[in-house]
Amino acid sequence: MTQTSQRRSTSRLRRGLAAVATASAAVLILAGCSGGAASAGGGATKKLTLWLSASAAQEAGYTKLADDYKKKTGVSVKLVNIPYAGYATKLHDAAQANALPDIASVPSLDPIWTNKLLDLSPIVKTESNKINTNFIAKTSDGRVLAIPSDVTASGLFINASLFKKAGVSYPTSPDNTWTWTDFIKAADQVRKATGAKYDLTFDSSPSRLRAMVYELGGKYIHADSSGHFSADAKTVDALKYFVGLNDDVTMPKSVWTSGADPSALFQSGQVVAYWSGVWQVSSFAESITKFDWASVPTPAQPVQASDVNSGGLVVGFNNNSSEAKAANAFLSWMYNPAQYKQLTEINGYLPVESGLDLQYPFSSKAAQDAFTLYNQELPLYAPISGYFNQAQTQWVLAGKSLTTDPSVTELGKAINGQQSVQKTVSNIVAGYNQQVGK
Amino acid sequence: MTTQAVRSAGSTPRAGAAGSAGATGMRRRRRLFGPESTRYLSATTLMWILACAYGFPLVWFILSSFKPAGDLFSYPLTLFPAHWTTTGYTQAWNSFNFYQFFGNTLIVAISTTVVTVVVSCCTGYALAKYQNRWLKVFLVCILATTMLPTEVMLAPSFVVVRDLGLYNSLLGIIVPSILTATGVLMFRGFFLTVPDELIEAARIDGAKELGIFFRIMVPISRPIMLTLAIFSFQWRWNDYIWPLLVLNNPDQFTLQIGIQSIVGAQNVNWSVLLGASVISIVPLVLIYLVFQKYVMNVNINAGLKD
Amino acid sequence: MSVTATAARSSAQGEEAPASSPGRRRRPRYNRYILAPLVLISVNVVMFGLFFVWPALIGFGYSFTNYTGVGDPQFVGIANYQQLLADPSFYQALLRTFVFTLIVVPTSFVFSLLIANLMVSRYARGKVVARIIFFIPWLISPIVTGVIWRWIFGENFGLVNFVIESLGGHPVQWQSNADLSLAVVMFASTWGGTAFSMLLFIAAIKNVPVSYYEAASLDGAGPWRTFRDITLPSIAPTSFIVILLTTLGAMKEYALFVSLNNGGPGTTNNLLVQYIYQTGFQRGQIGYASAASFVLMIILMAVALVQLAVNRKAERR
Repeated sequence: MTQTSQRRSTSRLRRGLAAVATASAAVLILAGCSGGAASAGGGATKKLTLWLSASAAQEAGYTKLADDYKKKTGVSVKLVNIPYAGYATKLHDAAQANALPDIASVPSLDPIWTNKLLDLSPIVKTESNKINTNFIAKTSDGRVLAIPSDVTASGLFINASLFKKAGVSYPTSPDNTWTWTDFIKAADQVRKATGAKYDLTFDSSPSRLRAMVYELGGKYIHADSSGHFSADAKTVDALKYFVGLNDDVTMPKSVWTSGADPSALFQSGQVVAYWSGVWQVSSFAESITKFDWASVPTPAQPVQASDVNSGGLVVGFNNNSSEAKAANAFLSWMYNPAQYKQLTEINGYLPVESGLDLQYPFSSKAAQDAFTLYNQELPLYAPISGYFNQAQTQWVLAGKSLTTDPSVTELGKAINGQQSVQKTVSNIVAGYNQQVGK
Repeated sequence: MTTQAVRSAGSTPRAGAAGSAGATGMRRRRRLFGPESTRYLSATTLMWILACAYGFPLVWFILSSFKPAGDLFSYPLTLFPAHWTTTGYTQAWNSFNFYQFFGNTLIVAISTTVVTVVVSCCTGYALAKYQNRWLKVFLVCILATTMLPTEVMLAPSFVVVRDLGLYNSLLGIIVPSILTATGVLMFRGFFLTVPDELIEAARIDGAKELGIFFRIMVPISRPIMLTLAIFSFQWRWNDYIWPLLVLNNPDQFTLQIGIQSIVGAQNVNWSVLLGASVISIVPLVLIYLVFQKYVMNVNINAGLKD
Repeated sequence: MSVTATAARSSAQGEEAPASSPGRRRRPRYNRYILAPLVLISVNVVMFGLFFVWPALIGFGYSFTNYTGVGDPQFVGIANYQQLLADPSFYQALLRTFVFTLIVVPTSFVFSLLIANLMVSRYARGKVVARIIFFIPWLISPIVTGVIWRWIFGENFGLVNFVIESLGGHPVQWQSNADLSLAVVMFASTWGGTAFSMLLFIAAIKNVPVSYYEAASLDGAGPWRTFRDITLPSIAPTSFIVILLTTLGAMKEYALFVSLNNGGPGTTNNLLVQYIYQTGFQRGQIGYASAASFVLMIILMAVALVQLAVNRKAERR
């Protein structure tokens, strides 16, 4: 009896295994087949691929352009939204696999594929586009490898409700902006009057730090003519000042030392101000409902500055001549002021082209005011504000790249009392020299 | 003993379950008011204390996914949403092609799981039941696969997958994940506990080596198969960086690629991310419940009871 | 049948582990004892060669160069290894890794074994719901785990400090204090990792012959003695696997640190993998990172071999 039941059970099992094996084989074949569906060549290219990394809200502008372009020319532009974490690696690998897209908006250039980029200089040279050439990536022989999709700037947000409750005033125009000392004094006053927890949270980002150092008159980590990096005395002073602000009263230590989320802290309503950037505007317009917030001019002590970067770098890849031609055509069309204005408005961008009469679609008054302010301030910023963005391009063109700025880690150590500010500065300078120095 | 173990393994799980459930029910009735009632009380209390400790962070996680973005970080802290909303869910659902990404992930997870379970079972058995120096070395080799950080293997593995022609194909994520040290160790550990007499008896009966494995050993390892299936499914379901690098065609993207695109460079839309996370773990919980029920009910020992 | 009964008795009295030893010293008498296992491991051997040896060799090659990810790597000999062994922060990270592992592995082991026992116990009521509760933490991605635990243990606006302050106490530095910060990661890691070990234990416990327990019950053994004398020895192979895997996992922990405290405060809670990322990959020093990874691998291999040896000794006993 046991024998028969054993045989029955094994045959059932074998049938089961066979079924499973067949099913998995089928799936594997299916999986394998769906592979090589790449764009087929031949004739004029009717299909382009555009990679970008954007929130759903900021993908909308590109979707609109792609739809319009399809209607106008019959060429479809397929958008692929790629998560930011891993995007750079993916581009790197795609270059190795010869599978780069036709067009992409990338966070930074990578020496491994800069030689495959299309020259976009005709777009920049088109006078009517009025593209700000401070932000384009240009080689020494005049080729333009990338044009920003938009520019971004560091900026200060305040909890306007707290200011109002404390009866403290704040500047609203770049003409009468305050110094860092004035600002901290005002924030102290607000904190004490309202029982808020902290004066300020500060993104743990090298870009935000640079902006503050510029405003305090320093040049941050700067290369001399020989390509060697150093930090000037004002930078050291500014960093000392910054480390001093992380005293768990003015600023919580946890942000720069232990990765606490400064944006979440500000959104609690218990922090007077937040040092971040323009990209927060559209998200605050939705996510802050418990108090009034406002963008205020960046402090100037005495330098009116910020850290201005390109939001995304738009590039075209030279995959083959027909696709390259189609990619060029789309990009020329996209940077045409009529189209570019739409993109800027829908995505809530600060434009890289001047002379556009922008109407942002925000219903929030604070957001509208913020964009007005940023657009007012941009032309006033000292030239140093764009130094890093330009330098970065030059490093890449020289075949180097600052993969990760050591500033955040090193300052975290200083704030945590692991090392002196002087040592911190020399470590950061050493990191720059090692990665992108001569 | 051998035949009984085999017979019970062959019997349907349901019969085994019914049998043991009936017996437990009788015992339960008898002991509910007896001296063992304290054991019910202490075990149940202990379990629920632990469940509350483990469950508390989950409560915040799930309730927060129903909060509007403005309430997520507001202070003083609230556990329950002041206004219940599902916008996080709808935005997550609409932010990428959920159905397609779900389907792709399902294909990858199912096929990898099936192959992994079969292959791990074979390897684990060989490592447990055959004495051979090379097999011992191979065990250490398999352990070694867990010892390098993902990042150091990422770039070289990519080159390998590209050279094998698996770039931009679901096979490129399925095949490299077949070998799993955990799976092999699990089966090896299991087969070590199976008495060698079982094999010896079959050999005396003239069974072939592979026949012994497929007819006797595979059926009794079902609880391990199902447990590994739960693991493998979860691993593939939550894979992110490798599918992103290998897949180029957005029609093949997997769920985690979509979910990660919510995490921006400068800011994270937490309410959408929480919604997406809740949605993505629901299928895993369902699979777990089904498989775990079988693990609980497959009663290898039913035949040894009398 | 009689064999089983004897085995049950003897192991019930705690004399011998049920993983029986006869046949251990069997010599390969026939070809089939070589061929059959070869066939069985063949697929994994191929996988091992293709997706481990091949890429690992490429990485091993990098470790002797100054490769930065682009261009041609230049051979630098063992300079990367020398630099690594001379770096004090490497030893600091190594020490911190051991501290983390030594605390997390036993904690996680005890909790998952306890919960697994409750899950198979007929005395615990409401298991279906509890089972889901214990399982879900393992499904949640590290980034979300990070935000959940920061909500509880956030130094500035976290729940625990909120309660402490409401009761009139001083806020605790859950993030700025290196040890407390590590403790929070340990809580989160145990919380998230329990389900994995628990499932392994459940499968193992379900595999212990019921007759053993019945024999023990006849002897009048209480729950603790039953657990100590039957369950624990019977699941020894699984316990070994759980310890080995959680040790390797803990020593490679990275994602949870990034999302909870970013290795902070400062760099005090940088474990080895984060050290490799920060000093290697994030500075484009692929060569250096590869060298550090292989040193990590040697350390892990040593740990694993020690565990294997101890386990073998225990099995023989």
